[in-house]
Amino acid sequence: MNLFAKLFAVIQGLIVVLVTFSATPTYAHGEKAQQPALRMRTVHWFDVDLSTRKLDVNQILVVKGTFVPSLSWPEHVASIEDTAYLNVGVPGPSFVRLDSRVNGVPTIRSSSYKRGEQYNFEITLKARTPGRYHLHPIINVLDAGPMIGPGIWVEVGGDPAAFENSIKTLFGQTLDLETHGFANAASWSAVWVVLGLVWFGYWLTKVPLILPRFRRASALGENADDMITTRDRQAALVILVVTLMLIAGGFFYATERWPVTTPLQTGKIKTPPLKMAPSPVLVTMDDARYRIPGRSFRIELTVSNSGKSPLSVGEFASGGLRFINSAVLKVTPKDQDDLVATDALRVEGGSINPGETKKIVVYADDAMWETQRMTTMIASPDAVVAGMLFFFDAQGRRYPVEISGPMIPLFGG
Amino acid sequence: MSVLTPAEAAFSPQEAARVDAQVDWVVIPLFVVLLGSVFAFQFALLVGDWDYWIDWRDRRYWPLVTPLVLVILPGVFGYAFWKLLRIPLGATLSIIGLTLTGWVSRYLNFHEFAGFPMNMVLPSTFIGVGLLIDCTLLLTRSWFFTGIFAGFLSGLLLYPMNWPLLAPFMVPVEMHGTLMTVADVMGFEYIRTAMPEYVRIIEQSTLRTFGDAVTPLTAVFAGFLTILSLWFWAWVGSLGVKAVWLRKVV
Repeated sequence: MNLFAKLFAVIQGLIVVLVTFSATPTYAHGEKAQQPALRMRTVHWFDVDLSTRKLDVNQILVVKGTFVPSLSWPEHVASIEDTAYLNVGVPGPSFVRLDSRVNGVPTIRSSSYKRGEQYNFEITLKARTPGRYHLHPIINVLDAGPMIGPGIWVEVGGDPAAFENSIKTLFGQTLDLETHGFANAASWSAVWVVLGLVWFGYWLTKVPLILPRFRRASALGENADDMITTRDRQAALVILVVTLMLIAGGFFYATERWPVTTPLQTGKIKTPPLKMAPSPVLVTMDDARYRIPGRSFRIELTVSNSGKSPLSVGEFASGGLRFINSAVLKVTPKDQDDLVATDALRVEGGSINPGETKKIVVYADDAMWETQRMTTMIASPDAVVAGMLFFFDAQGRRYPVEISGPMIPLFGG
Repeated sequence: MSVLTPAEAAFSPQEAARVDAQVDWVVIPLFVVLLGSVFAFQFALLVGDWDYWIDWRDRRYWPLVTPLVLVILPGVFGYAFWKLLRIPLGATLSIIGLTLTGWVSRYLNFHEFAGFPMNMVLPSTFIGVGLLIDCTLLLTRSWFFTGIFAGFLSGLLLYPMNWPLLAPFMVPVEMHGTLMTVADVMGFEYIRTAMPEYVRIIEQSTLRTFGDAVTPLTAVFAGFLTILSLWFWAWVGSLGVKAVWLRKVV
């Protein structure tokens, strides 16, 4: 090996080592990559929280929250009112899902959700693999893809080997889902591999095989079948009979051992929306402008209060980002990646008194618009935005209202 | 006057036989790996999730789609092996390759890397299909009859061939007031973020004639289609062996 070849080999090795060790783990589930229009106008998530942020293998974690399918759902995106499925965004089966409910209805199967209605969800998980996970609730929508909810970090400790997961069949038999049926399947597969290798091995006994047989087959031409011997035919017959017997034997063995089986189950369930008291707030979005240099969203609203208590805007949430009016609401981020700006909502116009209809202006100013790649909303095909406004009365009761409408970007000033 | 082959011209008969054998020991393992890799790729593209997950192997589509796809390489390579070498091994060898790569892939990718339990992602067994095709070909020495008999049996018997593997997962279970199979429960419990429940294609379509006989009807239908599939791919194989470059290489 000359000097250049050695040098080249060393450089190659260094590159491999550097690339390998410079790789950093990634945790996100692509929420930033999703088009802002999708994030703002599909599913509004709020009150998402975990029962615990730290647990051990085999312990239970409950994910709770609320979602509202947007009334402003884009026409070019398949609707959540057709087929959707409440899911969990975690890396692989680091948890097992023991239960999943929307408005109390088990959502083992797919469902559909009405736009503008409110749904409370609760997912019960059991920790399976130690690690630190950014856990998101997700709603998968048929033909549209996943609509990702806010992520919360959770840390799982303990011994993965101690994980247990069993179920009881309708016959009262308890099965370990981690191992059930594997040894049986592996044994049957091994039997078939052995039979295949016997057939392969029969031909290997004739080595040298390739070149001599190619020469002979080429030489014999139309009469190449003469190369097949009586012993070959006998061997093929035996293997064929054994194959058919093994298929039949396996089938009868299985029907004898598991006499009652059910086909795979599927279907769709109905999930009724949450029954809500009529809201005292009526809001119209009159104007929305996003000033790109200032990362500032300015929204003009007309608000009517038909309730008995003055109402103030405490929060604006859109595309998974939360902008809090600290004069009304105190919020502590759940962790370092919680997408909440605790003092980023400014309201001009003050509170709305009972029976009053007035115009207010809301400013949501924060670098999150930029860092969470929401500024590409200006590239949306229909330039419509949406979000949830949370009004609070004097008693602290909350009234969520969705607002939506066209948005004009401001490129300077 | 007999013409000496290059090997005979260069070596003594014993040495020539040894060279021929050495060619076998190099080429055959390489060929098994090649077939396995190509087959695994092709199978992943055309069958994919249907065979990855235990809760996808339904009575309707899995036994219909799988044999149609499964006979592609056995048809092509089976024809080539038969025509060029008169060895009825193409189907078995390619499916052994698929089986080995399948197990390696499920273990390394699905179990070790992604963390799914092996029983949820275990490969089906198809070697019987290869044996049916190869043995029938040798006994009939005809691709026409191999298609008729082995093609039909491959479609017909794929489900019973795998029933010993699948049956333990089709035992009924009640979960939160819903009837499910063990496989359904696994699909629900072991979270697949990118695979919502509705993605599975479970018994969609209208093949429900003759009362309750979903599986037998599907199996017979799959049998007929597999005849055509095997013939077609054997024909593709016949085009392949005519390739001038191939003959020059060999």
